Amino acid sequence: MSGHSHRTPDGFAAQAREALGDRTLTQAMRRVTDLFAERRAAALETVPDWQELRQQARAIKLHTLARLDHYLAQFAGAAAKNGAIVHWAEDAAAACRIVGELAQVHRATRLVKSKSMATEEIHLNAALAAAGTEPVETDLGEWIIQLAGEMPSHIIVPAIHKTRQQISELFVDKLGVAPSDEPTVLAAEARERLRQHFAEADMGISGVNFGVAETGTILVLENEGNARMTTTLPKVHVAVMGIEKVIPRFADLEVFLRLLPRSGTGQHLTSYQSLLTGPDVGVPGRAGQGPRELHLVLLDNGRANIAVDETMRETLACIRCGACLNACPVYQSVGGHAYGAVYPGPIGAILTPQLQGMHQAAALPFASSLCGACKDVCPVQIDIPSLLLELRKRAVEGEAPGAAPAKRAAFEALTWKLWAWFVRSPGRYRFAAAMARLGDKLPLVKRLLPPMRAWASSRALPRLAKRPFRAGHKDGGS
Amino acid sequence: MSARETILARLRQRAPDAPPPPPLPPVRSTALLEQPPFASRLAAFTAILAKLGTTVEHVADVATAARRTTELLAEHGARSLASSDHALVAAVTAQLPTDIERLAHDAPRDDLLRAEAGLSSAQWAVAETGTLVLVSADERHRLCTLLPDLHIAVVPASRLVATLGCAFARLQPDAAPAGQTITFVTGPSRTADIELTLVVGVHGPKALRVLVIDD
Amino acid sequence: MPAPRPSRDVALFATCLGDQLFPGVVEATVTVLERAGCAVRFDPRQTCCGQPAFNSGYWREARQVARHFLDVFERADAVVAPSGSCVAMLHRFPQLFADEPDVAARAAALAHKTFELSSFLVRELGVTDLGARFDARVGWHDACHGLRELGVRDEPRTLLAAVQGLELVELRTRESCCGFGGTFSVKLPEVSTAMLDHKLDEVMEAPIDVLAAIDGSCLMQLHGRLERRGARVRTMHLAEVLASR
Ligand code: SF4
Repeated sequence: MSGHSHRTPDGFAAQAREALGDRTLTQAMRRVTDLFAERRAAALETVPDWQELRQQARAIKLHTLARLDHYLAQFAGAAAKNGAIVHWAEDAAAACRIVGELAQVHRATRLVKSKSMATEEIHLNAALAAAGTEPVETDLGEWIIQLAGEMPSHIIVPAIHKTRQQISELFVDKLGVAPSDEPTVLAAEARERLRQHFAEADMGISGVNFGVAETGTILVLENEGNARMTTTLPKVHVAVMGIEKVIPRFADLEVFLRLLPRSGTGQHLTSYQSLLTGPDVGVPGRAGQGPRELHLVLLDNGRANIAVDETMRETLACIRCGACLNACPVYQSVGGHAYGAVYPGPIGAILTPQLQGMHQAAALPFASSLCGACKDVCPVQIDIPSLLLELRKRAVEGEAPGAAPAKRAAFEALTWKLWAWFVRSPGRYRFAAAMARLGDKLPLVKRLLPPMRAWASSRALPRLAKRPFRAGHKDGGS
Repeated sequence: MSARETILARLRQRAPDAPPPPPLPPVRSTALLEQPPFASRLAAFTAILAKLGTTVEHVADVATAARRTTELLAEHGARSLASSDHALVAAVTAQLPTDIERLAHDAPRDDLLRAEAGLSSAQWAVAETGTLVLVSADERHRLCTLLPDLHIAVVPASRLVATLGCAFARLQPDAAPAGQTITFVTGPSRTADIELTLVVGVHGPKALRVLVIDD
Repeated sequence: MPAPRPSRDVALFATCLGDQLFPGVVEATVTVLERAGCAVRFDPRQTCCGQPAFNSGYWREARQVARHFLDVFERADAVVAPSGSCVAMLHRFPQLFADEPDVAARAAALAHKTFELSSFLVRELGVTDLGARFDARVGWHDACHGLRELGVRDEPRTLLAAVQGLELVELRTRESCCGFGGTFSVKLPEVSTAMLDHKLDEVMEAPIDVLAAIDGSCLMQLHGRLERRGARVRTMHLAEVLASR
């Protein structure tokens, strides 16, 4: 049902241009990224051991990911012992099928869902809609996006690209309410509508922020209370969890809770964390207050392959805080839609090509100036620039030895071959430079060469110096 | 092969020359830090919640807590109160005026959905973050702290710990019965999804009031 | 005047961009290093560090060029370049040569003694005052690779603080990327320009005469757009500022 599904990861260039032409979008992006970056900086000031916390979180993640088979099995075992029903999904289709079957078995027709990247990644809504049971998104931003039939533009504030006027018009149109562009009025309208959905829902679907191996506990983190509603009111709760969300120990949660909200929104803690250790069935004489059944869907969908790739493994350390998006000058300029995928920004640029395959997303690792701001802010210190570079190499040289490269650009490849041939020899380098000086005198050359044209479209072209530096320094030598 | 085996087998496909996994570092917890005295804990707790629009009051006894609860209910125009099954909550509700409709933790769902206020205690309160930690095995808290517009929490002073780590160190979910739900509550429900404008009470309570009671 | 220091032999890496586009910057680098008491040598066999190909995914080609760089500079005492980006590339050689541990080790050793100009002056030589005079209000651009990969933040400011007549104006967007990013600037020119304009919107309003940085590539990008936007702000390399008297 999502509109704009024509967007693709490889369409980045055109989608970025489209985004740059949309002033509402670019201004909103600048506002949200500036604000969150500012709040993050302020929040960090209150944590003197911030760098140690980052190192700790990184060490925990890298250890766990290197032994994910062990911890995942431990987690699944503990969760099952607590009474959760554990399902394993190799890919998106399997995960959607499992959730669909659960809805069928429970005759659940009214589904509510709280915000979750994993369920967006597998396009769960579309799959369930095909069976006539599309869940209602209950996070305010996601609900707005769902009503509008659009895609989120930010992983924390999905509807940030929409103005209050646009949201008001949307509500008038879809809900038949009186127009108002007061956020409190709009939110109150949402509260009332969604209360109804919560009260009637047969099944609640959520994501998972952390899964604790030693206890089988899942943690869901949020601000609005919709995730609490989703995981409390319906009879059945289905939690879809990427397998990389496992951490070894319950006490490790503190480290991640200190890092995540501060990095993302600059909050010292979000309003709510729900730590669920099995279904809340209650004890004799004392009824439980939550769903009678808790289903955990453990989603691979490409993650296991990343986990066994020594170079790329740290991609999976991501805790989806959104800090790298807010810090990224490319993201700040074009927003999330340009990335044509569920995960935008720097994390999307490394994750999407690995989840969807390089042949669909080779453009994304190149959608970066490699400024390194993402690495600086990442609470788990993911070296995103290095991973972008590695993926660029794989795009050009093929993902495995002997494999065909995803990026087929024969002319470009030839250019770099020639470049290296000229530049690796001082004589040829001098010759090439002399030739370029001749070319520099011919304006036509500049107008014809595509890179020159691209540069000159917005910037004055630099001139080659009349004489290179070396011409005056024939004397040197080491 | 089952999906479980397939996924685990994929995860075991490590390169033969792969380096050994980096070690798991020892737990890093703020529970190991020195605990500030109660007065500073209360001051920190009050200050951080004030930033979220949540008031914290220090009361001497159950009677005062009941009086303040009554006044808070009146201030918010709330005439029905959903409660948890905590003993302290029971003691407070017993002293409330009779014209306030009481709804027990196991009242019908539809009644709880229309409750105007909720009263709970908390197993721990965290000074550093302004967080209430509620454990379902000790207190059936899930509905009365979520559904009503107003949430009032009566927390024993002895339960106010310094940091999040102190709470984690005391929670021990492996020792708790399966089916336990722990809820961390920090301020009212909020969203900034519309143009980054803060709106409180989008799904959960619009207001949270905390009474710290001497015990 | 700078305190005379024990002379230090420096192999100058002009960088391909400096050599071909900004020889004045390289001349100024020589001047500054000599004033700081260094004996500067220029090996004419040098060409490029290989970064353009490396950043574009063409690692085979980058390795060919990087190998040449190693051959030329390996025996130097210290290598200094008027660029943070090219020096940062040296620190990426181990990644580039991951499959050739012996070359990676040679590269790591070379990276260890290769320095960006300002950090060489301040950290290695302990020189902070080069006796320069430059009457202007200068805005500083913290070039990304120098800033985030080499940790160069205070060194240029220390040096600028000692320049007579110079007023340093700190920009809000000083650490924002200029949008150059090598081939990024021509592959995604609109995005590159949007990033650039975000920065220049402040620069053009700021009370400055000169926008300065440690990297020629950023300056090329900044200058190209400033000129196109008809701004009066000039761009200058740190070396040129420090060489002024
Ligand atoms: S990559 Fe790092 S900064 Fe980006 S979302 Fe993930 S954890 Fe946050």
